[in-house]
Amino acid sequence: MNKIKIIIRREYLSRIKKKSFLVMTILGPVLISALWLIPFLLSQTTDSKSNFIIVDETAEHQPNAEPLFKDKLKNSAEVNLTYSDDLEKAQTMLREGLCDAVLEIVGANAMPPVKSFWFFGKSEPSLTARQSIENQLTALYKDYYLKSNCGVSEKDIAFINNPKIDFYSKNIITGEESYPEIKMGLGMVAGLFIYFFILFFGSQIMRSVSEEKMSRVVEVLVSSVKPVQLLLGKLIGVALVGLTQFLLWTVLTFAVITTIQSTSSEQFAKPQTNNVVVNERIVSAETYQQAADAQPATEIIQGLFSINYGVIIGMFLFYFITGYFLYASLFGAVGSLIDVDTDAQQFSLPVTIPLIIGIVCLSMVINNPSGPVAFWLSIIPLTSPVIMMVRIPFGVPWWEIALSAGLMLITIWGSILLTAKIYRTAILLYGKKITYKEIWKWLKYKN
Amino acid sequence: MDILKVCSVTKAYNNHVALDNVLLNVKKGEIFGLLGPNGAGKTTLIRMINQITAPDSGEILLNNHRLNKTDTDIIGYLPEERGLYRKMKAGEQAIYLAELKGLSPRVAEKRLRQWFEKFDIANWWDRKVEELSKGMQQKIQFITTVLHEPQLLIFDEPFSGFDPINVELLKTEILNLKAKGATIIFSTHNMASVEEICDTIALINKSKKVLDGAVKEIKQRFKNNEYEIVVPVGNNIESLMVDGCEVISKEDNGEMETAVLTIERGRNAALLSNILLKTDIISYKEVLPSMNDIFIKTIRDYE
Repeated sequence: MNKIKIIIRREYLSRIKKKSFLVMTILGPVLISALWLIPFLLSQTTDSKSNFIIVDETAEHQPNAEPLFKDKLKNSAEVNLTYSDDLEKAQTMLREGLCDAVLEIVGANAMPPVKSFWFFGKSEPSLTARQSIENQLTALYKDYYLKSNCGVSEKDIAFINNPKIDFYSKNIITGEESYPEIKMGLGMVAGLFIYFFILFFGSQIMRSVSEEKMSRVVEVLVSSVKPVQLLLGKLIGVALVGLTQFLLWTVLTFAVITTIQSTSSEQFAKPQTNNVVVNERIVSAETYQQAADAQPATEIIQGLFSINYGVIIGMFLFYFITGYFLYASLFGAVGSLIDVDTDAQQFSLPVTIPLIIGIVCLSMVINNPSGPVAFWLSIIPLTSPVIMMVRIPFGVPWWEIALSAGLMLITIWGSILLTAKIYRTAILLYGKKITYKEIWKWLKYKN
Repeated sequence: MDILKVCSVTKAYNNHVALDNVLLNVKKGEIFGLLGPNGAGKTTLIRMINQITAPDSGEILLNNHRLNKTDTDIIGYLPEERGLYRKMKAGEQAIYLAELKGLSPRVAEKRLRQWFEKFDIANWWDRKVEELSKGMQQKIQFITTVLHEPQLLIFDEPFSGFDPINVELLKTEILNLKAKGATIIFSTHNMASVEEICDTIALINKSKKVLDGAVKEIKQRFKNNEYEIVVPVGNNIESLMVDGCEVISKEDNGEMETAVLTIERGRNAALLSNILLKTDIISYKEVLPSMNDIFIKTIRDYE
């Protein structure tokens, strides 16, 4: 037992002292803070605007008629619109670089009743800009048609144009509002974080084991300690490195965010619930508009404040540690099979595939966090660390968590036993090509 | 008194027997040569003594008890495949390995400083192993093997990778360790060093022990009545022979004639007196077979 401690200490200290650890420790909080602060900052940035010239020719063939769209399109955050009657003049300006694009709108006596043509200079107008203009044109034409051909009043048109129905969800037990998008984001971040952690530290175990084998130092080591002790010491030592890193990240991130918040407090103040009263049954057009106009960031911030972090952090730590032990032990087995001239890929691929499956199925799980795919992937131990973390912010029945956690612990026990069997034979096989058939034989050995 | 007893040990891998009913006794304080061709099973046996693997049947006794967990602390092992952590500093690494053998870091460091002085590598203490020459790495590994002052030392090909000067240094140290009471198991192909330092040997071939005993006794056993005689030049040595004596080879360096003879038992006196009637004898001695010859002969006979 005492010898395991010595091994843990070396594995831990030798990694903590590395420069790369320091770099990661500093870089991590910067990245995490950035992730947290981006919504705040996004709401305040102003992009450089594109200038479009609209040439509205819809009135051309109908004397006395007004152009349908002139001066009616709204400028958006990215786009600044000006109007002109002279297409050639506008095109000359485009050639000279005085604007970014020219849109010619032509009336037609067919379906579609209006056609538009884009002319662009250096680069094509962005898809979002084009879509926003297209939507506006469609809406304006609809309004025009309703008014002139169907005789609908302006008030009715305004009402018709506000048909979007929003969902607000509220937990019946806690009475708290739920923010599915935020949970989605949080689940994703937690899941991906575990994925990267497992991959990063798992491959460290793999490399470290194969280095000991290739440098032959392992023979001296196993003449002093049991191979299992060596393996466990390594697993625990590296786990502690991971936890230290995580702890430092949390503390530093918290420090960075608090500092930034306190230096410009009003920008990051917790927003008041000022826009929408959710449980009000009838939301009038005005309040709706108010909500729509509100900065999208405030909703995100409100969401971030609404999450129950206790459960998430607890479960995160559980899957963070167990997922690591499961994969790291398997990676350890892989490492013991690698020799100078063997290809690591053939053995490491089977271990990484379940992780990749989890990542591939992530979007499916997010779309339906309690569906069968999500359920099974969060129960099966090889995918559960990533997938369960994605699901947890949405709320998971306790028995599912218990089942998943229980299976996880049993599987870790099994995988460490399995790894120990492979490991103790493979580390001392120098310069011999190891096949899967042989590994199978080792697993069947009694002692 | 025997420090180590290997009792009828058998070990088989997938489809080949590595050790077949091997029986060995190593006396306390001796240097025991474990000899045998490549793949004979020496490394398997050594690994068993180090509890890296376990025998399928039979048992190994150390100080008259079955090997147990704490025994690793009184054994020092220098494997044939040398290796240290490349990225770790020399001193730090040696302390780590000593700690794994149950030494406290303070004692380990004190002893290490002395060894580093002795081997003239004190200023490499804080260098990473990968920056050191191969010879220096070997020295460090030797030090880590003996640092915890084990009762039983196992050296697998200790001299490979050393230059002649360091081989001498190492030999002296090994003999020093013996003088201090350590028992040494010495596995090698280098028969010259076996003659020089081993008290007892065991020869393993194809997983079986085929020969063992004290080096002197084995040489006596294998001697085939060969003698070397040196006489002044100009005597035709063949003409001086008596019945039961035969010249195997002879050589003439201009001053002396050297010949190797076989002499049947009891014919020495007759031959020598016959020679002395005609000429002087500059030297006369019995030729014992070299360990090298014994090694080759035993392995050939076995096959």
